[in-house]
Amino acid sequence: MSLFDRFVTQRTRTVARATGRRHFLARLGATLAGTSALPLLPVARAATTESPRAPQPQEQGDPLSCDYWRYCALDGLLCSCCGGSANSCPPGTEPGPVTWIGTCKNPVDGKDYVISYNDCCGKTACGRCNCNRNEGDRPVYMPAKSNDINWCHGTANNLYHCSTSVVLGLAVE
Amino acid sequence: MHLPAMLALSICVLAPAAHAGPRLDYTLNCMGCHGVDGLGAPPEIPQLKDRMGYYLDVDGGRAYLVQVPGARQSALTDAALAGVLNWMLDQFAGASKPAHLDAYSADEVSRLRATPPNDIAAVRRDLERAIVALHPRGYSD
Repeated sequence: MSLFDRFVTQRTRTVARATGRRHFLARLGATLAGTSALPLLPVARAATTESPRAPQPQEQGDPLSCDYWRYCALDGLLCSCCGGSANSCPPGTEPGPVTWIGTCKNPVDGKDYVISYNDCCGKTACGRCNCNRNEGDRPVYMPAKSNDINWCHGTANNLYHCSTSVVLGLAVE
Repeated sequence: MHLPAMLALSICVLAPAAHAGPRLDYTLNCMGCHGVDGLGAPPEIPQLKDRMGYYLDVDGGRAYLVQVPGARQSALTDAALAGVLNWMLDQFAGASKPAHLDAYSADEVSRLRATPPNDIAAVRRDLERAIVALHPRGYSD
């Protein structure tokens, strides 16, 4: 093998070892989709304050990780890994108007925030970043409190693709 | 699991806050299904906006608003549920708001919660028929 070939092979192997395709694709997908520019899900207008959009809390942690503070009751797939974000649905999916609402404690300020776990619907399951956390969840014999139910209702079809975690505001009156 | 029928009579409930007023109670116990604007997701989840008040115009409707499973089986106390219902009527009744509106009390809610009908779906069907007869143009689901 020529010196050039050896160099390229070496570099390619190094890159393949050092980077995660899933992580890269997730980030690339989110960037291409321009998710920060997409409008917030309708439910995000529901603020517990008077302002049209709830002030967003200071946050830390990785939205691509199941440990992220907002995901304390997320049982499903993370939309941030699927071309969307914690606030928005991937292209080609529709946010469910019906949602599971809970509260999670933000480690930055120690306060409880209201979280809306809208599902993104219309395509088959994203298949990435499975997360199974259940704070406040109850078994399915209490269906209104169960996060295992498919919450894709009121959408064009009820295929579940992934879940978001929209912060609605502080859990105070 | 897909439970449209059950959801038609349930309200999405989660993790009630330790100390909350009616707006937050609605957010945590009702808004998941009925929506921030009370639009719901018909036909499985009824629209409250401009409709909810009509139930107070027909016999049995006032009781129904307490006895519908999403309200009755919520984690709210009787006093809190009365507060939420009064708040919801104020926020969402809109065009359907009756001229005279008696606020729900904790006692009334307690009494109604203790005596649920055997077939709530049948009760709802009858109420809808009565409402449509009264307000043919103003009500459609």
